This record gives sequence, C-alpha cells and structure tokens, in this order.
Amino acid sequence: MAYLLQRLLTEAATRQPHRAAIASGDSVMTYEELDRLSNKVARALLRMGVASGDRVGILAPKSAASVIGLYGVLKAGACYVPLDPKAPLQRLRYVVRDSAATVIVADETRAAQAAELIEGAEQPGGVVVATTVTAESAEPMPERGIETDLAYILYTSGSTGTPKGVMISHRNSLAFVEWAAAAAGLSEEDRVCSPAPLHFDLSVFDIFSTCLAGACLAVVPDGVATFPVTIAQWLEKERISVWYSVPSVLTLLGCYGSLPKFDLSHLRTVIFAGEVFPPKYLARLMAEMPHPRYFNWYGPTETNVCTAFEVPKRRDGGEPVPIGKACANTEVFAVTSEGGLVSQPGEVGELYVRGPSLMRGYWGLPAKTGEVLVPHPFRAEYDELVYRTGDLVTVEADGNYRYVGRRDAMVKIRGYRVELGEVEAALYRHPAVREAVVVPVRDELLGSRLRAVITAVDGVRLTRESVLAHCRQWLPGYMVPEIVEFREGLPRTSTGKVDRAGLAQDQQGSDPQTSGLTSVSR
Amino acid sequence: METVIKDYISRELVRDPALLPVADETSLLESGILDSLSLLQLVVFLEGRFGITVGDADLLPENFATVNTICAYLRTREPATQAAHG
Repeated sequence: MAYLLQRLLTEAATRQPHRAAIASGDSVMTYEELDRLSNKVARALLRMGVASGDRVGILAPKSAASVIGLYGVLKAGACYVPLDPKAPLQRLRYVVRDSAATVIVADETRAAQAAELIEGAEQPGGVVVATTVTAESAEPMPERGIETDLAYILYTSGSTGTPKGVMISHRNSLAFVEWAAAAAGLSEEDRVCSPAPLHFDLSVFDIFSTCLAGACLAVVPDGVATFPVTIAQWLEKERISVWYSVPSVLTLLGCYGSLPKFDLSHLRTVIFAGEVFPPKYLARLMAEMPHPRYFNWYGPTETNVCTAFEVPKRRDGGEPVPIGKACANTEVFAVTSEGGLVSQPGEVGELYVRGPSLMRGYWGLPAKTGEVLVPHPFRAEYDELVYRTGDLVTVEADGNYRYVGRRDAMVKIRGYRVELGEVEAALYRHPAVREAVVVPVRDELLGSRLRAVITAVDGVRLTRESVLAHCRQWLPGYMVPEIVEFREGLPRTSTGKVDRAGLAQDQQGSDPQTSGLTSVSR
Repeated sequence: METVIKDYISRELVRDPALLPVADETSLLESGILDSLSLLQLVVFLEGRFGITVGDADLLPENFATVNTICAYLRTREPATQAAHG
C-alpha cells in the first residue's frame, strides 16, 4: 500500500515505464522519464542541503517541469509549496518568508524570478531548474519520510490580511487521492485534465490520482483556456476522458463552446468543485453534452474533498445540485447554532468533517488552527479533532447535504477562496484610504465579483487606477476588486458598524448596462 | 465604436493600470486583459450595447485580438450595429 505520494510514481514507473505520464503540447513524458528526472531533482536538492521536512517552493505553471519538481521535492523528504507565477511579488515574498522555504524549484523561464525571491534566505538557499539537472544520478532514490510528514502547503486567503498555509501530510492527501481515483473510475487508458493551477487544491487530483491509475495528465496549453471553442477543439484533439474544474469554465463551455460540433465521445466524466454551479447553466451544459457522467465534489482545502454527488441525467434547472454524501472513509455532520445535530430536512447547521484527509493545521498559526480543528462535539470518550468548515448546509431526506451559505465573510471568486478581510487589509495599506469595505456582487453567470467602497483621507482625490495599482502589488488578480466606488462616508448601522448588508444590497454606482451581467442572452 | 469599446475595457476589465491606456492595437490576449471570464463580460457588453448576438463560432482569438479586430468583426454584423449606434 502506498503511504507516500512519491510511491505512486515509482510504482507506475515500474509497472508501465513507457506509458505517457504527462502530455503537454506536442511533447509527451513517460512514467520512466518522470521518475528518473525527479530522482535527479531530489539528489540536487539533497546536495544543496535540503533536509527532511524542509519547505521547497515550486515556481512554475502546471507542466512537466513543475511535476518533475514536486516529485523531486517529495523524494528528497521535503514538502513542496506552490508559488503562483501570476501572483504579485509581494505576495510570493510573503509565502516564501512565511513558509521559510530556502530553495525554489523553477522552470527555465522563471529561474531569475526564483533567485530574486530567495534572495536573503538562510542557508542552504538556491534555485533548482527542474529540467536541467544533469550532474545527478537518475537511479532510484531511497525512500524518505513517513505518512504523517507534510507533503505540501497550499496558501489560501486569510481573513486577517495575510494568506495562511494549509498543511497537508502524505496520509491526508492519499486519503483523498485514493478515493478520488476510485470514484472517477480512473484507469491507465484515461487522459485527465484540470485547468486548475498547482496552488489550487483541485490540482491534487490530476497530478496524483492520475499517477495512481497510471493514466496521462494532459496540460491545457497557454491561451487555449480563454476561448470556449478552442477548449472544445482541444478536448477533441487530445481525446480527454476526465475533466475536473470550477463551474465557471464549464458554464462558458456549455454556453459558447459549440459542443455538438465536436467529437467529445472520449469525455466520459466531468467533475466540478469549488463553488456552486448555477443550475440553469449546468442544465445547459448537460443538454449540450449529455453523454458524460457529471459529479459535484465538495470540500475546503483543509479537508480535501469530503462529499460527492453524482448529478442525475434528468434534472430541471431549479435548485443547485446537492454537495452529496461523505466520501469513503470520511464522515460529515452538521451542527445547528444551538449545538444540536442536524437530522431533519429544513434544519440549517454548520458542516463538520472527520477523517484522515483533514489537514495537519495552518502553518505557524496554532491559534487559528485551534479555531477550526476542534474536539468532536458529540464524543467525549476519547480525543478526536474534527474540522469546522464554516459552510452552512441542510440535509435532504435521502441523506444528501445541500450548501446554503457561509457563516463568515468568505466568498468564492472563480472558485478561489477570498476573505473579504484580506482584500480590505490590502486597501488599508494605501496611505490615502481612510475606510474601505469590500462586498461581493452576485453575478449569475460569473459567480461573485468584488466591489470596494472607499472613503479617502481628507483632501486627497483617489482614482480607480491608483487603487487598482496598489492592490496589484499585494493581491493576486482574482482578489482585486473589479468595481471601485468612492464615497464621502460609509453607511452605518444603529450600532455604529459599517452597514455591510446595506452596501451589499445597494447597487448604486454600478451602471446596469455595464455591470449588470445577469444572463447569457440566448 | 472604438472609443466605446476602449472605455469599457479600460473601466471594467483592466485590473493592472500598467496596461492603461488601452490602444486600438493593444494585444488583449497576450497582455492577459482578456481571459475566459473577462472575454465573456465583454461579449455580454457588446451584445447589449450594439444589439447583436455573438455566435459561438465567432468567439475566436482572431476576432478578439485587439480593439481593431473587435470593431472589424462588429462591422461584419452591419445591420444590427447600425440600429444601435450612439
């Protein structure tokens, strides 16, 4: 049994050395090549002084180079930390400093940027270019580590203004990876694709579950993902059989992909996760492309996927599909605000998760960890920590859970978690901002968009450009507010707090013609 | 028409001020101004503003490469664009 993620690769390379592991553009890398190149990276890391448990950054988009790199990190007994190549330098610096990564594995085009990020880091310090390690041996590496060691840290939005690192061990990840490969019925014949980048937890499926099955990971080329029709063309050409993404990409495919014009008969499974799929667009997608099986997977980064639901073939456009029932070897339950267990349809409660896929905690934030990994509320006989998701759910008579909303100020933008407090904290760093409130604007087609309502310090005239330029220094693109509005003062509730609910209701300042995206026009 | 589209793109889609001002020949794709979702926002805007329907088969890189190519594409859909000027 595999208890280390890298064993998935060494086993696949032994079993089927010449099958394709990664297809990217016209180039194909076999399992044997991936295994041997990652051995070289592991040895290069060890030679630089990387020790068991050290964090090593990965600065590259999803590609052969980054997959070689992350397996190299794991084989060295270290823990990888994906660095979003599109994130601003300030944020990357924060992640590198916070995780105390002293080495970064990069692809060739990002080696200089990686060197800049690591500047001033403590020993060993350095950059490894994943594809150009020539001096080291490619022979098998002695296995290093045990299943409770960290495999990776994924940084996600934090409500207090800085991102927080979700620590996932080999065991945590494998609990999901093994379930997911079985649930999707992956085999060595599959060609699996997810456009999610490495720092997004959806990528765990296409990197590791694909490897467990000995299937081929297909990398979506740059530029293809922008146009729905080019995605559809690519799916046909690459004979993709399993697709995993956030709903917004699938909405675009269903509405604008001209799907019936393409031969997508190879596509047998479509999985979506990360946010609610607007029912009308899911119905549209399933009408355009009726043959695959459709699954809704649910789970915060902290739990991996914890519930799943297969969407029935015939459904009306009514309510969003349920998030379903607990995955194998996982248990979920919901707790009402009075502390009781949700057992009847109609009752609303916060979803709790228990099982081996739960994170080890937030990196360097024991207090924050203690707020979400809490003692089991209904079991006093022995100690067990369960995860509070902050998601409010109901339960159906058939046992399926349904997502109804959030307990706090977190929203999803294109599937990414965004803590409104982190965006506000970035705005407050602007010297001319006196007050700032960020509220989500619901958009049926695109999900949420962010609207910032700002008051300036006396005598300063702020512009949208200067606010955006400032945000770009601190926040990744999906967290930068699209709508920026300036006011003399912010509305208050009777207790003197900023009236967030009022601001969220109030659409003033947004031109209905330009901002009121409500539906696709046909 | 160019001005209307540039204004919209500058105001609603560009989130990196380093990319302003948007010119007629600015590459909307290489610059990253248009991604899958901002492209869709733009399409919904064009459809509303110019009273046209952008067909699936027209949603292609060559039509949306620059403000100029967008306008050239819109002019091929003449009857509708004339009806909704201003």
